[in-house]
Amino acid sequence: MDPGSRKTFDRSFTAVGYFSIALMAAALVVLLMPIFAKGSGAFVFRGTVENRRLMLEKFGRGDRAAIEAEKAAAAAARAPVYEAIARFEAALDTADAEDRRGYRSDFREVRELVAELLGPAPGRQTPVLIRDQYGQTRWDRASVVLHRILYVEDYDYSDATKMGVKVATPRVERFRGTALEPLFGVLERDARAMLRPRTTFYWRFLFDQSFDAHIFGGIWPELLGTFYLAVGAMLFAVPLGIVAAIYLAEYAGESAFVSMLRTCISSLAGVPSIVFGLFGLAFFINTLRVSPSKSVLAGSLTLALLILPTVIRASEEAIKSVPVAYKEAAMSLGASRWRSIVTVILPAALPGVLTSVIISMGRAAGETAPIIFTAAVSVGKPLAIWQTLSQPTPALPWNIYNLATEHEAVDEIRHVQYGMVLTLVVLVLLLNLAAIVLRARVSKKLRG
Amino acid sequence: MHEQLLMTKGARRRSRLAALFGHSVLAAVASSSIIALLFIFYFIVKDAVPFFRFEGVREFFGSVRWYPSREEAEFGALAIFIGSALVTIGASVVAVPLGVLAALCLSDILPFSVRQIVKPVIEMLAAIPSVVYGFFALVVFAPLLQSHGGSLLAAGAIVVLLPFALVGSAIAGNAAGARAPEASRRAVRVGAGLAVGALFAAGLAALAGALGRLTVGSGTNALNASIILGVMALPTVVSVSEDALVAVGRDLREGSYALGATRVETLLRVVVPAAKSGILAAVILGVMRAIGETMVVWMASGNAAKVPEPWFNLLEPVRTLTATIAGDMGEADHVYGSSRYHVLFAMALCLLAVAFVMNLLSELAVRRLRRGRT
Repeated sequence: MDPGSRKTFDRSFTAVGYFSIALMAAALVVLLMPIFAKGSGAFVFRGTVENRRLMLEKFGRGDRAAIEAEKAAAAAARAPVYEAIARFEAALDTADAEDRRGYRSDFREVRELVAELLGPAPGRQTPVLIRDQYGQTRWDRASVVLHRILYVEDYDYSDATKMGVKVATPRVERFRGTALEPLFGVLERDARAMLRPRTTFYWRFLFDQSFDAHIFGGIWPELLGTFYLAVGAMLFAVPLGIVAAIYLAEYAGESAFVSMLRTCISSLAGVPSIVFGLFGLAFFINTLRVSPSKSVLAGSLTLALLILPTVIRASEEAIKSVPVAYKEAAMSLGASRWRSIVTVILPAALPGVLTSVIISMGRAAGETAPIIFTAAVSVGKPLAIWQTLSQPTPALPWNIYNLATEHEAVDEIRHVQYGMVLTLVVLVLLLNLAAIVLRARVSKKLRG
Repeated sequence: MHEQLLMTKGARRRSRLAALFGHSVLAAVASSSIIALLFIFYFIVKDAVPFFRFEGVREFFGSVRWYPSREEAEFGALAIFIGSALVTIGASVVAVPLGVLAALCLSDILPFSVRQIVKPVIEMLAAIPSVVYGFFALVVFAPLLQSHGGSLLAAGAIVVLLPFALVGSAIAGNAAGARAPEASRRAVRVGAGLAVGALFAAGLAALAGALGRLTVGSGTNALNASIILGVMALPTVVSVSEDALVAVGRDLREGSYALGATRVETLLRVVVPAAKSGILAAVILGVMRAIGETMVVWMASGNAAKVPEPWFNLLEPVRTLTATIAGDMGEADHVYGSSRYHVLFAMALCLLAVAFVMNLLSELAVRRLRRGRT
């Protein structure tokens, strides 16, 4: 090749390399953007008067008098809606049988949708389910319901060669000329006055109980469960891991046993996480019976095994990075090997060890597969510390899966799912950030 | 004075005994990993054996009929094995080229200051929990794939292949120009480059058009799971192969530069061959991550236990071993001791065996790398 071609080849390869890095960064951005954008919707959103009513009645928050006044104002705005419904009902009673039958199901649908938007109609008895006791608490959800009231959505399959096309026809056409007709106009015009949306900052999302399978409230049980599981896993894994790291870094030579030990550690790191879950079920629960069924304890033990190799490797690295001069100085002063490890090497290695502990804690907090069979339940109360020995807990990773796939109202609680995902991501990234900062300081100290 | 510094015979023996005792206690604690691994194998095998005893091996590995909950239960897991393999291969296609390229870039091309920014990006990708990737795949990526499947694929193909096409045409133009006489060299270079570029562009347009016409039946399919898994496995591939590349050392590189090689020639002819077993280890570890991953495939792959038609059609839903274990245990737990319970352990045993063997291979590769260096 001539020099020119070689140079071009060199440059273009460099460009492809940069491109691969850019693609990776883009992947991170594409992944995190929707999570941050929509996840913040769980914390900051346009809350309606129904939201403030819920906060007052379920958590005792807010200014009672102000909320009562707001409720009255909203009720005044809603009056025409209920009036139209009552007039239509009355007209339906006097209409002939065929008309009545024709309107019945359509009218019921309208009434149900209005109840979904605004909550139970005045004068009716309070429904049993909490989700039926309140209208839409969030303006974004309210807009969706409002659209469903105003338009009937249907699929048009007339073109057989294509997929069905979504068509929205105004619902008012169905009730043209009846007493219900004004309802649609009023709703479209005055929906804001009926629900009074206002920007709400709901930081207590993190620390609130959830109501009615996460349709209302926050994620405190999940957050606490995740905390218990991660800390529990550290309690088991860190002592074992650090001792093993000391052994590997300071005592072990190059014997066949040590080589096998290292192979075992890396094999343990390679075991698929779901297999850890099965093992936890078969060993900790079905054989050792550490608890009658799933429990935080069993989950922590399983997670501890999962992160043990990470803790060992990173701690060993940290211990090995302490300059030999430290140890030599300690030993020249007459300290025994063990004494020099405990009083000189370990303190010097502590920040590095801490880094490894923090990173593995993030890992333990985010793992789902090992806790499915050993610790996680979909709905639960926040546990007291002694209950962790025998009770299962909800946890962020499992509940993200559960709410996103198995919940009865998956679309209605997207904001809760995103909120949980954001919380988990921020938690893990903060832990990693702490580790990165810590590591940077350590390497500066050991260098200088 | 002298006497006090020396230990008595008894004291010396005692201190030596204490040291021996301490050493063995440490060794015992350290071998907890060995015990854990043995226990995992023992308990998975113990619960897998009844399945093979009652149902035999033939049906499990040879049939695609997976009906574990029927009265006459059938446990043909071949389709599930194929699903796992398909998703894993797809993920490696995403993760391996991109990861190795990024590692090369990170170790040799990027200036130090940029590297300090890129490394945390990789660490963040590695730190994000798998369920978050799964959630993204299910809630963001799958609907997008379903509604704009064809155009999304076409755009993806263009973004990935365009740089290579540009590089290819530049090189081809240069090579053609080198043979032309001095006077017309520049014109030949530009002309040939443009011609080859047009060829590439036509090919790319044809490919994009073909992809654009595809319709995606369901957004949760093997392709979705492969792409997301690939991104997940990426940090492993990057960091392990970067370690291997850095470990090659300066002297080899400097020797190559001293002989007049360009950076790419140094990289491709000297550094990569020297680090190849380390890169192999990185690839194996990345593939392992993809095989063992549960949440992403559970949420993104569609969970249909059938072989796609044709078998390489990534746009059809598949089911993997890990997702089957995670999904079925909830129901199988109630029938503790039945074949339905034990079949999941049989699958776990297969996963464990594959992971173990691959891990040994990667260990071997790393060891060879280390031996090659000293």
